[in-house]
Amino acid sequence: MSAYSLASISFVLFTLAAAGFLTSGNLVRMLMFLELMLNAANVALVALGPQPASQAYTVMLFAVAAAEAGIGLALIITLSCAFKTLEPENIKELKG
Amino acid sequence: MNFDPVAYTAAALSAPVLLVLAAFAILLLPLFFKGLRGTQGLIGLGAVLVTLTFFRAAPQAKLLLFYGALEISPLSSYLWAFALAVLGLTIVLSLARPPAQEGNEGEFYFLAVMASIGLMVMVSAGDLFTAFIALELLSLPVYALAGIRRTKPGLEAAYKYFMLGAFGSGVTILGIAILNALYPSLAFEALRSAPAAAPQLALAGFMLVIAGFAFKTALVPFHMWVPDAYEGAPTQVSAFMAAAVKAGGVILLWRIFSLFSGGPVVKVFWWLTVITAVFANLAALAQSGLKRLLAYSSIAHAGYLAVAFFGGRPGFEAVLYYLPVYAMATIGAFSVALVLEKDEKGPKIEDLAGLAKTRPWLAASMAAFMFSLAGVPPLAGFFAKFYAFAAAVSGGYTSLVVIAVVMSAVSVYYYLRVTVVMYMKQPAEGAMTAQQAPGAVEAVVFLMAIGVLFAGVFSGPLLSLAAEASHWF
Repeated sequence: MSAYSLASISFVLFTLAAAGFLTSGNLVRMLMFLELMLNAANVALVALGPQPASQAYTVMLFAVAAAEAGIGLALIITLSCAFKTLEPENIKELKG
Repeated sequence: MNFDPVAYTAAALSAPVLLVLAAFAILLLPLFFKGLRGTQGLIGLGAVLVTLTFFRAAPQAKLLLFYGALEISPLSSYLWAFALAVLGLTIVLSLARPPAQEGNEGEFYFLAVMASIGLMVMVSAGDLFTAFIALELLSLPVYALAGIRRTKPGLEAAYKYFMLGAFGSGVTILGIAILNALYPSLAFEALRSAPAAAPQLALAGFMLVIAGFAFKTALVPFHMWVPDAYEGAPTQVSAFMAAAVKAGGVILLWRIFSLFSGGPVVKVFWWLTVITAVFANLAALAQSGLKRLLAYSSIAHAGYLAVAFFGGRPGFEAVLYYLPVYAMATIGAFSVALVLEKDEKGPKIEDLAGLAKTRPWLAASMAAFMFSLAGVPPLAGFFAKFYAFAAAVSGGYTSLVVIAVVMSAVSVYYYLRVTVVMYMKQPAEGAMTAQQAPGAVEAVVFLMAIGVLFAGVFSGPLLSLAAEASHWF
């Protein structure tokens, strides 16, 4: 598999994940799509980049993605306790 | 210039290292020593004050550390001092009015200090990847800070900020992946020239990176989270977001913008600037909540700052003068909101009615902030806008400046409305029952008011500092 076919797979994956993020109406699903976006971008990074540097970048981005998932899950859990729902449509405390 | 680079590096790096140590002391020490519980804010404030004393006259030199990942120069010292000042003010506000529940102070101050370290690393980053990691270090704590109260408005603000911020991060990483493939290195200097292959793909990469950073800087159309996040977050955190997060995003966008001297990227920035200035000011006209108004005002000011980008180096000088001036007025205005707030969403503009009678000094300070944000001479905001727009005019972007000036005139309406409500309207019956705020918040308000006044009337010192720092870009 060439680097370019890997890269095109990652672009397709990223687009699908972004589309899913923007259309899904559930916070947990949105978080999963977010992680998918990050991972797709990581695949692109590894597939396209000069080898050692981009792999080091990817390892650091794993840490960022993990931190993001941690904060996101914590937020969603507290949010579901406070609002008793996971759908953004029903979370409208603030105007706009 | 004769100086010892090792000693200079050690002195320069001691600031962030000390803050990291302080952050972990804040988080961990009170767990082991019961006597320290409740003093976390004081530890943080002390660390900030000690760190600020490290900013002696820095040598006039630029040092590259960690293989070019960090650039230490008088420019980074200037911006670090800014970041530390914002952190210090946020801590003072939080000490006076604790935003977190009892027992959560450790987390609150830890996250605030960590976010400031992220800002400090970001403004001195030498390559795109370091800048991105630092941006995450700045953003991730602020997501949590926005929701630290665990009440409905705060959580809604936090999740909206988190979702859009993380979306922006994903977009940025994809852009970085593309640029990483086309350029030999991600250092800003290396990105300056066109890539050897596939310039169209490189353009796409830059667009993705700019879009991701625009989410954090809140340029329209990437601003959707801002009003809700600023309204629902604790007011102290809103002030921090408006001053620190915005400053970081602006510096980062300038780094990207300054790589180009023309072409599609400049055109995209032109449109982003115009849309931001027009939309934010028009949307602000319809707001009734003070914090929401300030949120739209902060979006509009991101637009004015982006106008200054078009002026080249004088424009960057204007940006460096603009940032502290804008931060003083915004932090001051949010502090007034903090004094008056009864629930988490902050006061309505009508709640300010009669403030001139009940709290004349508070009203006068608020009027000073509003006039400074609107750009009325002799307050500092006028000079900041003047230098920003003058730089863009001399760069040849007159039509952009005309739009910005017209929208700035529109903004006078909503800033003036706040002042009119304070001075002309009678307080509603039963409202404004002398709600005594702790003195520290009012001290911050008055300090900021004096700062806004002096940075305008005696703009020389701050301007010369900004000019000196801008030479080290």
